Amino acid sequence: MAERLSNRLHDLRAERDLTQAALAELVGVSRKTINTVENGIFIPSTLLALKLARALGRPVEEIFSLDD
Amino acid sequence: MPTADDIETADRLTRRRARMLPVLAIIFLTQQASYFASVVEDGTRTVDHVKIGAWLVLSIVMLLALTTGGFWFKPARIRALMDDEVTRANRTEGFRIGFLAAMISAIVLYFVTLFEPVSGREAIHIVMTVGLAAALLRFGSLERRALKDG
Repeated sequence: MAERLSNRLHDLRAERDLTQAALAELVGVSRKTINTVENGIFIPSTLLALKLARALGRPVEEIFSLDD
Repeated sequence: MPTADDIETADRLTRRRARMLPVLAIIFLTQQASYFASVVEDGTRTVDHVKIGAWLVLSIVMLLALTTGGFWFKPARIRALMDDEVTRANRTEGFRIGFLAAMISAIVLYFVTLFEPVSGREAIHIVMTVGLAAALLRFGSLERRALKDG
């Protein structure tokens, strides 16, 4: 069983030249939420993962993946 | 949708809350220490009523602040940002630790009463204080960790 969820949020955000605050504004969450998801401290809900994917214009599985 | 200003305000207030929580827990614990140091004898004097009343009011305020996130006079959209998924998860963990601490203190008190009489009021005082302080400290430490830039 995979125990960890990896994410490319930081890279994809940087690609689009977005700050954490700017992405937070697009998604409608706090900057803390973006920060904790990026750092792997917090595993987002499906709803938040989908919102992040929509804001970045990428499919969810391109942002999040299981550490096998 | 929240504006950039809303995000910034929520961020600033969340940082303030994360700094305040451990301080509030310490103030709360210190108040209890002074309560037990002066030992309320039978609780019938006016000063005893004031002390117990002050503790009860402070406990209720702490409990409400912990449950709702505080900052009650801020706009709803700011409070919603401050009560995001991460905060709710951290609060739940804080409650879990607080509940555990309260249960452990109740078990310890149960054994203490076998050797030393403890009044019902004192027991409630200790269980509530330990539970609330533990929850505040845990929630505060998780919030501070969440705010650290990685």
